[in-house]
Amino acid sequence: MAVTRMRSPRSLSALTLGSIGVLVLAGCTVGGANNDEEAGASVLSVAASAAVTTWDPVRSFSTEALYLGNVYEPLIWKNAAGADEEFRPGIAESWESSEDGLTWTFTIREGATFHDGESVDAEAVKSSIEAAKDHAGASFIWAPLESIEAPDETTVVMHLAYSAPMDLVAASTYGAWIVSPKALEASADDESYFEQGIDAGTGPYSVKSYTPGEKVVLEAYDEYWNDSAAPSYDIVDISITPDAVTAQQMLTAGEVDLATNLPLENVDTVAADLDATVKTTNSPFNFLAFFNTAKAPLDDPKVRQALSLAIPYDDIIDVGGAGYGTQSRGPVPKGIFPYSDDVPQYSQDLEQAKALLEEAGHADGLDLTLSFSSENSAEARFVPLIKDAFAKIGVNLEVRAELFNQQWENGKADPATAQDIFVLYYWPTYSDAGADNLYSLFHSSEEPFFNLSYWNNPEYDELIDEAGTLTGSDRDAAQAKYEEAMNLLVDQAPAAFLYDAQAVSVVPKGIEVADFNENYPFTTFFAPIKPAN
Amino acid sequence: MTSTAIMPAFVPVGGSTFGRVLRVLRTDRLAALGLALIVLVVVLAFFGPWIAPYPEQGFGETSVGDRGLAPSAVHWFGTDQLGRDILSRVIIGTRPALTISLFVVAIAALIGIPLGAIAGYRGGWLDTVLMRVTEVFQAFPPLLLAMVTVALLGPSLTNAGIALAICWWPWYARLVRAEARSLRDRPFVEAARAIGVPAWRILPRHILRNCLTPILVQATVDIGAVVLAAGSLAFIGLGAQPPSPDWGLMVAEGRGQIFTAWWISAFPGLAIFVTVLGFNLLGDSLRDFFDPRQVKR
Amino acid sequence: MLRFLASRLGTAVLVLFVLTIVVFVLARIIPTDPAVVYAGPKAPPEELARIREKLGFDQPLILQYFQYLGGLVTGDWGNSLATKRPVLDEFATRLPATLELLFAAMSIAIVVGIGLGVIAAKRPGKTLDGVIRFLAIGGVSMPAFWLGLLLQVLFVGQLKLLPATGQFSNEVDYVSPITAVTGFPLFDSLITGNWVAYSDGLAHLVLPAITLAAYPMGLIARMTRASMLEVLGQDYVFTANAYGLRDGLIRWKLALKNALPPTMTIIGLAAAYALTGTFFIEVVFNWPGIGQFAANAMIAVDYPAIMAITLLGAAGYLIANFVVDLVQARLDPRVRLS
Repeated sequence: MAVTRMRSPRSLSALTLGSIGVLVLAGCTVGGANNDEEAGASVLSVAASAAVTTWDPVRSFSTEALYLGNVYEPLIWKNAAGADEEFRPGIAESWESSEDGLTWTFTIREGATFHDGESVDAEAVKSSIEAAKDHAGASFIWAPLESIEAPDETTVVMHLAYSAPMDLVAASTYGAWIVSPKALEASADDESYFEQGIDAGTGPYSVKSYTPGEKVVLEAYDEYWNDSAAPSYDIVDISITPDAVTAQQMLTAGEVDLATNLPLENVDTVAADLDATVKTTNSPFNFLAFFNTAKAPLDDPKVRQALSLAIPYDDIIDVGGAGYGTQSRGPVPKGIFPYSDDVPQYSQDLEQAKALLEEAGHADGLDLTLSFSSENSAEARFVPLIKDAFAKIGVNLEVRAELFNQQWENGKADPATAQDIFVLYYWPTYSDAGADNLYSLFHSSEEPFFNLSYWNNPEYDELIDEAGTLTGSDRDAAQAKYEEAMNLLVDQAPAAFLYDAQAVSVVPKGIEVADFNENYPFTTFFAPIKPAN
Repeated sequence: MTSTAIMPAFVPVGGSTFGRVLRVLRTDRLAALGLALIVLVVVLAFFGPWIAPYPEQGFGETSVGDRGLAPSAVHWFGTDQLGRDILSRVIIGTRPALTISLFVVAIAALIGIPLGAIAGYRGGWLDTVLMRVTEVFQAFPPLLLAMVTVALLGPSLTNAGIALAICWWPWYARLVRAEARSLRDRPFVEAARAIGVPAWRILPRHILRNCLTPILVQATVDIGAVVLAAGSLAFIGLGAQPPSPDWGLMVAEGRGQIFTAWWISAFPGLAIFVTVLGFNLLGDSLRDFFDPRQVKR
Repeated sequence: MLRFLASRLGTAVLVLFVLTIVVFVLARIIPTDPAVVYAGPKAPPEELARIREKLGFDQPLILQYFQYLGGLVTGDWGNSLATKRPVLDEFATRLPATLELLFAAMSIAIVVGIGLGVIAAKRPGKTLDGVIRFLAIGGVSMPAFWLGLLLQVLFVGQLKLLPATGQFSNEVDYVSPITAVTGFPLFDSLITGNWVAYSDGLAHLVLPAITLAAYPMGLIARMTRASMLEVLGQDYVFTANAYGLRDGLIRWKLALKNALPPTMTIIGLAAAYALTGTFFIEVVFNWPGIGQFAANAMIAVDYPAIMAITLLGAAGYLIANFVVDLVQARLDPRVRLS
């Protein structure tokens, strides 16, 4: 029986520690070199939290838009609020709609090419849109489309079943990208075709490499059709860091040039550390708290109004959003159609809240349950404030943290046994919050999906339905109808409208970035980023 | 059970169990330290709301104006991201921490001990089935089973408790089973059987009484282990949820500001450490005393 | 010996089989819609229905189970609902990082643990023994995630000596990329002489490895001490002393060899604890290993990933115990013959 020999542990540990020590000191010299000019290629390193759930541009409906938005392009782009023009040309040079809004014509530019070498023409556009309508993740945005034809190489005509704002749809961040027909054909039957790393876009960057869960490397596309928007950096190296704290550490340590997800509470300190500028813009994300209108006591509008008056909106913005937010006016986020500053909002008034509660017959208080998503750190931070505030008016709030999936499943179940208050973090799929937020969140429905207040108000339904048909042809009339609907919402308070989150970016000294575009909230556009002079 | 080990000078050899334990405590400084820490924690658990300087904040009342203050005379441990006094939160958090561990260990013991005793005493297919079942549970790396269970049930302190109890009972079952098996054939048990004492009386009186010491030692250490496990689960997001003053949860909440407001994570973590240390110190000394060769889990 | 091994193997297979049933059933009765995990929260109901049909979630449970079992055998363990890639691939990509971390941590733990245990056994009951016992028990009591955070604050925040997170700096890929030989990046950088990458990797490895080593170190130190105390009381040690053999020789050569078997068992156990420890440490240090993958899968309730983690975790643990049993059987004939 052989017995293993044991080296003297003491000498071994000394050796190990010694070598570690030497190498640690040596190791400290690596790192600190940014924007490597090696072999002439300029590299931009970025830390982003976006995971890639699929590389399929048609099926994509999630965070990978951060990358795909640089690789693919839609027909037209919607500009950020406040720009001179509402839209700017993409693959389409120009577009127009008929008087009744049922026919939309897009003129496709010449000279654009796909990364695989094919030219962009009307047929390609037609195939892309048909594929999107057929099996896109966001296929519902093409619901108004009845048929689409390509009469010649540079013209695409869309015939709609009912009037709809196809310019907004064609500029959507999901389900509207133009994809090479070769790839579309191949992927029609094979759902995992794109996962091998096939890149069939027209955009300024193409995908160089992808290490799942770790890194995405984009490479500038030399034949990009738009010279005025050609990328400055040859390579964009994106480290996938789902953890905001890690991203922050990488940014402050100089390991990356840019970080797209930083913990909001640390933004100011990070900016001060790096001598960076903090830019804030509107974003399409907002928080709301649905009241369960299907069961007592929240079936009484007075009670809902009382609760809306008790909420500490400013504190919630301070604590939940680190001050980067504005109190909501209804469920439409600031800067997105049909937002209006004329829609009213509640301010915290505990006295009035208490009085209203008494009026409603609940002078001795209430017991309510609230559910929120445990993964959402902002909600986890500000929900205790709501609990405290409600306690001051005699409402005892039981707070339930659930993973969003479970919270949603529970919310979609029987309203009679579901939560009293459902806190939700929401954003519209494309920049029409009338068709999205106002409809999805509050239009009555057979089975609850996103209408987690279970509200059923025929007057509201009528207003929304009508406004929806007007958006394509008469934007102003639609706006007016939507405003009526939003006023009704705030008055009847089927939900408390908490705050619209702002998009915050920390721009380090050495680079210039484009302003955040709230219409493409998941995409960071890398082409406009260039070294500052 | 004789042992050839060279025992530390202070292990006494004669006298009653209780007397011997007392002598260990008096001479082994680490054991005494452990006991002192345990007493501290128990006192905080009972009297927390009266000891804490800002008890309402301990229970969750926020104070938005005092967010993120460093430790000072007013707030010994500083304040967290909602302005709550951390010392108070740590103190108030003692009770749920201890309660859940006692709950878990009690349930695990209540399930495991009877099962192990019956299986060990009876033998046969009952014993084989129990062994296989415990093997299935023990096939998991520790905590993995708990994590999976909580992930599937939904994260909350109660579910974490259930998951941990599910993980812990096999150890008690096997402990008692081994003792029962060896005691079964001892003369005094055989004698009891011979004169017709029924099994349900033999088990508690003869079998279990002899298992008492290892069970108690195991339980002492386990209480600490469960505090650590529950805290770890909460840190990952699979345990207690905000706004409860759970120590593991507080460490997770403070992680974002670890470089600017280190106290938010540091002190709750220290609480976990101190609590677990206390139970481990005491349990370890007792175990050394009763059987130094017992393979430690 | 063969019968012993065969019976252990048989038990292991049975255990794994039962596990598949247990986890499968648990996963399916839970009220979370896997289609939502797959498609994301904004997908409309029709899309969700389509996915449910495509992935087979609407079929009867028994059928789903047998399909799953069949897949297990053929190597198709399903695709992660979150990343859409085969779960086994995800594992394979992430395994080397965790193994390197485990190896480093266990090396530290074994060396330091055994060393401390032997030293403590020299003079039991005295101050040094007390200090070492305190250190050992402290290591076992310390929350790993807390220790990791403290080390970060000290070495990264205050002293700015070491990097905070990750396995390698970003620059390494461009300045001095590692050529893959075995698939273990740090090891590869060592054998290819890539000192830039190696030193960078070591710098990143230090803090996580130390944090991970604390618990096993404590276990090993404690066991070694107890074991040594037992052995040092034996007659043959007394005799060796009487013959005049040097104290150090007796301690390190004679006694330690015979004190090792129980410590071996503990090392196996300690490695298992360390494996679960990686869950927390990889989160704190953003280490791209299995622990981080598992933690994310739990939160996202990614069924195929959770099932794979459970099965592989249990399998790994069983294998580790098996190996430990084997080693012990080799070293100690009493075990074989029992």
